[in-house]
Amino acid sequence: MTKTGIVAGETYARQVKSWSFLILVLSPFLFILLSFGVGYLSASTSQARNTIAVVANDSNLRQEFIQSNTLQTTGKHATLPTAKQALQQNKIQGYLVLKTENNQIQVTYHGTKQLESSAKQALQQFVIQKQQHLNQQAANLTSRQLHQLNQLPQIQEKVEKGESTTDLAKLVSFWVLLFLMYFILVTYTSTTAQEIASEKGTKIMEIIFSSTTARKYFYGKMLGVFGVIVTQIAIYLVGGFALYGLAPHLAITKTLFQQYRDLIDQVLKNFFSVNLLYVLLGVVIFTILAALSGALVTRPEDATKAAQPALYLVMLGFFGALTLNKQAELLVVKILSYVPFLSSFFMPLRVIDGSVSGLEVLGSLIILVLSIAGLTYYVGGIYSGLMLQTDNVGFWKSFKRGIQIR
Amino acid sequence: MLEVTNLSKSFGSAQVLKQVSFKAQDGQILGLIGQNGAGKSTTFHSILNFIQFTGTISWNGQALTEKDYNIIGYLPEERSLMPKLTVQQQIRYLARLKGYQTADIDRQIPKWLERFAVKGDKKDKIKSLSKGNQQKIQLICTLLHQPKLIILDEPFSGLDPVNADLLKQAILEAKQAGATIIFSDHDMSNVEDLCDQVLMLKQGKVVLTGDLQAVREQFGRNRLFVKTDWSTERLAALPHVIQVALTRAGTYRLTLDTESAGPEIFTALTQGHYIQTFDQQPPTLDEIFRMKAGATDD
Repeated sequence: MTKTGIVAGETYARQVKSWSFLILVLSPFLFILLSFGVGYLSASTSQARNTIAVVANDSNLRQEFIQSNTLQTTGKHATLPTAKQALQQNKIQGYLVLKTENNQIQVTYHGTKQLESSAKQALQQFVIQKQQHLNQQAANLTSRQLHQLNQLPQIQEKVEKGESTTDLAKLVSFWVLLFLMYFILVTYTSTTAQEIASEKGTKIMEIIFSSTTARKYFYGKMLGVFGVIVTQIAIYLVGGFALYGLAPHLAITKTLFQQYRDLIDQVLKNFFSVNLLYVLLGVVIFTILAALSGALVTRPEDATKAAQPALYLVMLGFFGALTLNKQAELLVVKILSYVPFLSSFFMPLRVIDGSVSGLEVLGSLIILVLSIAGLTYYVGGIYSGLMLQTDNVGFWKSFKRGIQIR
Repeated sequence: MLEVTNLSKSFGSAQVLKQVSFKAQDGQILGLIGQNGAGKSTTFHSILNFIQFTGTISWNGQALTEKDYNIIGYLPEERSLMPKLTVQQQIRYLARLKGYQTADIDRQIPKWLERFAVKGDKKDKIKSLSKGNQQKIQLICTLLHQPKLIILDEPFSGLDPVNADLLKQAILEAKQAGATIIFSDHDMSNVEDLCDQVLMLKQGKVVLTGDLQAVREQFGRNRLFVKTDWSTERLAALPHVIQVALTRAGTYRLTLDTESAGPEIFTALTQGHYIQTFDQQPPTLDEIFRMKAGATDD
């Protein structure tokens, strides 16, 4: 194995085996599972408490009412004493007493809180329908008269399917992408800068540079980190696909998934595009910058400060894209979508908006890839000087002295 | 053989090395001495190609390049290891960077841990070891791959006498195996114990170089070590004696203005008197160092 390979392997193994990586990779899945779990549990619990018992002197009417799903009813507590007891024990929200006396339906609701207006409306509708039925029977009408009497107005609603979903999908895609990138960037810039600064602080670099060139070491280091990033994104992809495959079959996600299937599909389509490449390349270029920042720190205790320059730039991109997310046509957004470091935030914004041509994306990608290559080569060249310069003279002077050493 | 010719290095306007030239032979130990800031570490950094310099550095007649990294064993002045790695992981990583195979390294580790009497297991984390044991691990990392060129920057600093002896033994074994060894130290007794050659730098310039004994002899045998019942005043009154000092062993050290006065003083001391000791010696390396450095603050 080449020395670059050994350094890459060591960097990769050390980071992947760390607790922080495990937490970083598992946290989104745990968060999703936890959210669904808590949601499902609270929904199940509140569902039981929000049901209404039905008590009636006409068992057919009771059964019809329950089966009509007019309200969230329970088949339990069919008698007045048991319903009263259930209400007292807070097992139900309330109970309805349905009575038919002298061809008239009487409904009384007893409960701890008022019926919602929609529920009240639905109840009224059911009762009116049943009362009409009783009235019609009592009136002895012919079938033609009955048909005439039951004639209802026709109301239609025509919505262009997909248009509103597409807008929402764009918004969701942008937010998911932006936050995912911010989350990964903050993690990797901090981790890389701190690791490099710690290495410099421990002075082990002199031993390492007596075994391989600083340039090869730096390339190995960056390759190792790149491997970790790819691993993390690959785990997210595999996990994401697994969740996507499981969601329609799990009780806790089934309804939600069916309801938002179109939206989810469109978000995924927006995500699994060139935007994923921007996330990956964005993390790479910021990691190189973080390594440079880390190499400028001279004391191990300053390791946490090392990531600051890179983090400021991450925040600039994040808040800039957040502010301008609905203005993809603005000139400033167009310009920033070509600027390395910031293009990873602004080009996906334009891609999701659908206001950018393939050629423009290609141009921006070429600039980004060339910048990564150029920055890697440059930092590789000055890395030895930066890592061996240990006088505590501040970022800028440290940079100048580091360049002078080599 | 390592050959350094006209090595010069400046940092900004400060010239740290000025036309430094020397040779270090195979199977010999060269002691690099000098005050703090004399340019010892910069010389090492130049040999290791950490920094750009003017002049030439060659190994067996060829320029020392990246391909020679595997034959170098380097112990820097500041001790450092990766605290989160285990002993085995740390040794493996650094030895693999020297081109050693993992299986070979694993075979060697127990032998080296035993040889340096490291207290602890190979599975222990570096950070859990004592400072002394960490230093031993670093020495193992420097020597395990059997380097042909060994550069040790103040290797004895922080070692107790027992461990210093272990290191001396390891250095002498590497010498016997034919390695070229350069080391710097502020303790001249270590240099005298180990070195065949000595090179002294002062403000970036070579002020002393050559075979250790020859260097000492070139200053003349103007030191007399005498054990007698004469008083200090009486000894100081002798001709050619410029200084008298009583050592802890009860021996007088007389500094002469000329080496040739030795026999004359011996005659004077022995006429009608018994003297237990009379020894005429060149100055010690420590004395030469102080003389050459022109200061005693180091």
